[in-house]
Amino acid sequence: MKALKLGFMGVVAVLMLVPMYLLVVNAFKAQQDILTNPFSLSPDLLTTEYLVMALSNPDFDIVKGYAVTILFVVLVNALSILLACPVSYVISRRARRPYRLLLLLFVAGTFIPSQVLLIPVVYTLKFLGLMNSIPGFVLFETALTLPFSVFLYSGYISTIPRSLDEAATIDGAGVHRTFWSVIFPLMRPVVATMVILNTFSVWNDFANPQILLGPSSGLYTITTGIYAAVGQYSTDYTVVFPTLLLAAAPPLIAFVLLQRYIIGGLSTGAVKG
Amino acid sequence: MTRNLLSVRTGPAAGAGPVRRPGRTFPSRRGIATRARLATASMVLPALALFVVMIVIPVGLSVYLSLTDWDGYSADPGFVGLGNYFRLFRVSEVLTAAVTTLIIAGAGTVLLNALGLGFAMLVHRKSRLNSTFRAVLFYPHVLSALVVGFLWSALLGTTGVVNTFVTEAGGEVLPFLSDPTWARTTLIGVIVWFGFGVNLVLYIAGLQTVPQDLVEAAQIDGASRWQTFRHLTLPSLAPVVTVNIVLSLVTLLKTYDIVVSLTGGGPAGSTQTAAYLILSDSFGNSALGFGSAQSVVLMVVTGLLALTVSRLRAGADEAVAK
Repeated sequence: MKALKLGFMGVVAVLMLVPMYLLVVNAFKAQQDILTNPFSLSPDLLTTEYLVMALSNPDFDIVKGYAVTILFVVLVNALSILLACPVSYVISRRARRPYRLLLLLFVAGTFIPSQVLLIPVVYTLKFLGLMNSIPGFVLFETALTLPFSVFLYSGYISTIPRSLDEAATIDGAGVHRTFWSVIFPLMRPVVATMVILNTFSVWNDFANPQILLGPSSGLYTITTGIYAAVGQYSTDYTVVFPTLLLAAAPPLIAFVLLQRYIIGGLSTGAVKG
Repeated sequence: MTRNLLSVRTGPAAGAGPVRRPGRTFPSRRGIATRARLATASMVLPALALFVVMIVIPVGLSVYLSLTDWDGYSADPGFVGLGNYFRLFRVSEVLTAAVTTLIIAGAGTVLLNALGLGFAMLVHRKSRLNSTFRAVLFYPHVLSALVVGFLWSALLGTTGVVNTFVTEAGGEVLPFLSDPTWARTTLIGVIVWFGFGVNLVLYIAGLQTVPQDLVEAAQIDGASRWQTFRHLTLPSLAPVVTVNIVLSLVTLLKTYDIVVSLTGGGPAGSTQTAAYLILSDSFGNSALGFGSAQSVVLMVVTGLLALTVSRLRAGADEAVAK
């Protein structure tokens, strides 16, 4: 029974991993070899030529793509923490009705599909003069993180004893001081979860950057760049595999290193629907 | 002034009589209250403002645009009432997309949960090997759906790896992505490969709450594995199952990225989902009013499901609390 189960899981594991194996080995092969010997790992076939070519693809500067995407990840995370934490603190410390309604308003936002918002957001950003700009994109992307962050943070804060706030107040700290130097440091686990979640959702987002940072902005994230580079040559596998490998490598490496935290963070996020 | 009074109230000199007259302390209290209110406002308003500008107003705008025939350029959109909504039922593209979306949501939900729960049963016990299996089943989910779609389209295309094997074995090229029915099936398969790891993890978390002493007791009493699962494990997992099912539905209803990269909506529009059509109608075909009507419908359907989630969850929470 046990051997049967192990055998079965082994087969499943191989099936799950085969696509990734093919992605990795074929990123180092010529078109003809990909077509005839996709599984081969023979050293004579392997070359880094195509990976180097992908790095200098004229359609998509992937190094710049990394930089732009990392910039967005950092900005959205920082802004999201800065905005969502204090409001969650107020919400979870006040029992009065307006604050409960505020929580309800934010939570309602978790169930709005972001593609549905894209059309009107384009015109909202145009009206604000922020269309095709980094601030416009970062603000929208941050707004998308707020509902779930507020939900998660306010739930977490209500488990932190109020006596800590009171002690800080008696020592003369104002609300801001109380929050940032007493409560916020205690929120580390939940903030870490949210940072993991937001990092992956910004890194992997496609529709929003594709439309809010149109071609006129000249800004490509990893995903929109891949779309520009791979979309048109989808049968030239010497472009497809190396480019996809370069895009897939960072999240996969992060996953290998931080597996437990990432599984925890992303599955918490799944609950937001 | 306020400062002085404040220091008198809390400071060591609090006993000093003359300053404590009620008439004097009143304004100071109000000053403190105002200040506290300002501090609170400065914590709430930035987030609220961003949320209102980027989410609440756009939702309202969407509803408004859905009642117009706006093309995205003209100065004033013509009001057409519910015309766009009636048109939804007459445009075959929209109906096809609705059917495709429902098929994906329905079949996808069944498969995601069957595999999620099935594998959770196999690998939920804590061991090093099991956590490796979990990671292997979960890993596709860290990739972008766009990358996953491109990868599978490279593997399953007419000249892709899989077809290389099929033709070498003497078979004919399989139309994974070039026949409408095949393409829909492939799309669902890839979505499941990409996403069931999340359901797996949620089910594993749920299984950890199933009382193990009861499971052992049942086994000692001679219950078969299936009986234990059917009458003990599954009932205590009920809330987790509900949550998983509705969450899969909500997620699958907005399938977009993977369609773009795997099939591009083709062949012949057979894999266009609601979200895909909304964006291509709105921006590609300059039919913003019509696209907005589709958005509003998708939003309402998703919202209703979300409401169902919270209802069901409330019930499940109560059941667990007992």
